[in-house]
Amino acid sequence: MHIEIADNGAFGSALVSLNPGEEFVSEAGSMFRMSSNVDVDVTTRSRSSGGIMSGIKRMFAGESFFFSRYIVANDEEAEVGLAPMLQGQVALIECDGKTRWVCGGGSYLGSTVDLNIDTQFQGLRGALSGESLSFITVEGVGPLLVNAFGLITELEVQGSLTIDTGHVVAFEESLEYSIGKAGGSWIQSFLTSEGLVMNFEGHGRVYVQSHNPDEFGKTLGPMLPLRKR
Amino acid sequence: MDYVIQSQPSYSVLEVTVDPGEQLVTEAGAMAWMTSNMKVETSSRGGIMSGLKRAVLSGESFFQNTYQAEGGSGTIGLAPGQPGDVRAYEMDGGELLLEKGAYLASTPGITTSSDFQGLRGLFNEGMFILRVSGTGTLFFNAYGDIQEIEIDGSYVVDNGHAVAWEPSLEYRLTRAARIRSFLFSDQIIMEFEGRGKLWVQSRNPRSLADWAFPFRGVESDNDGN
Repeated sequence: MHIEIADNGAFGSALVSLNPGEEFVSEAGSMFRMSSNVDVDVTTRSRSSGGIMSGIKRMFAGESFFFSRYIVANDEEAEVGLAPMLQGQVALIECDGKTRWVCGGGSYLGSTVDLNIDTQFQGLRGALSGESLSFITVEGVGPLLVNAFGLITELEVQGSLTIDTGHVVAFEESLEYSIGKAGGSWIQSFLTSEGLVMNFEGHGRVYVQSHNPDEFGKTLGPMLPLRKR
Repeated sequence: MDYVIQSQPSYSVLEVTVDPGEQLVTEAGAMAWMTSNMKVETSSRGGIMSGLKRAVLSGESFFQNTYQAEGGSGTIGLAPGQPGDVRAYEMDGGELLLEKGAYLASTPGITTSSDFQGLRGLFNEGMFILRVSGTGTLFFNAYGDIQEIEIDGSYVVDNGHAVAWEPSLEYRLTRAARIRSFLFSDQIIMEFEGRGKLWVQSRNPRSLADWAFPFRGVESDNDGN
């Protein structure tokens, strides 16, 4: 398996080359090009994790309900091109199995079939702020692809760091984290329009995105025709 | 004529310098800036019918602008409406097929016409695509990064991501037996066959529009009626 990240700029994408017998998984619908010797299986499961219920859980995590699974159909090399929907970079994370990775809802692009994928709910706090606050956890050894809205910056946390939830792409679970308000109180949080933040403690890597997709959506929304009730 | 494509692939701008007597044909609305000695002539190139066909059938402009420099050489900067890549394609009497909206500019020896896609066009970007032929340089653009693929055999592209292809390639729209799904809404794909070059874009403007739609407001009882 070989992964090449194309155009590390506003329109990043990944080209995954597969040898016969290798498999890859992506968020359903992110394939934009592939060689014709690839079988695509649209499934609710990544590997061992869950059936339809985990599909529903993922839908709440802001991901598509389904995964696409790519299988090489003959004994020749194959390729699959994956791209997210929004503008932004794509990054490759080599999971070493020492710690789980956690992806923010909408940041998961794809991974090798050897990685276990599951959804983590963050409870009602997400509903209060209107921000999607579910995560996708990734466990095992192998390549993981994440996408961002805008630029991806890798931060090394040593001690503590606070990041707006809308800007978190992925982080190592070796970090302790809690979700809280940016201000001291809910009122202050509301007035500053800084929603929820994640407070990280410990040692580990965090990928952040320069822009918040929700904020962009809220900019465009009022310019579109109203939805009928 | 000299050209340079700046800041590829994210925010490509095509800068063309023309000598006196040379002409550049562009898609209407693509001009971002130009030296003041550039003169423009707007016409429905090839006559009203061909302009109408271009506009109605393949989603390009009714009018095309022809620029030329007066009293010395001049420079024009062309930026497509969407951010993304711009590619130059040298033509020598051959043909190239362009998806709706991909045409940016060309030298005058190149002509464009609509090509009927039949029923498969219903499920595609449109019933017609643009058939470009002649000799000279063609510039086309896309939303996102443009990737060139050499096909010898067959290749699969998600519907909405193909930008341009050589006529030696045949394509068909299919749900593809290779995609197993119990869903009705699975991807429609374009399957290309033959030997030739294909260019694809790494983003799809339609999916962006679909993504933005849920953010719109809800009509209240006081509105309208």
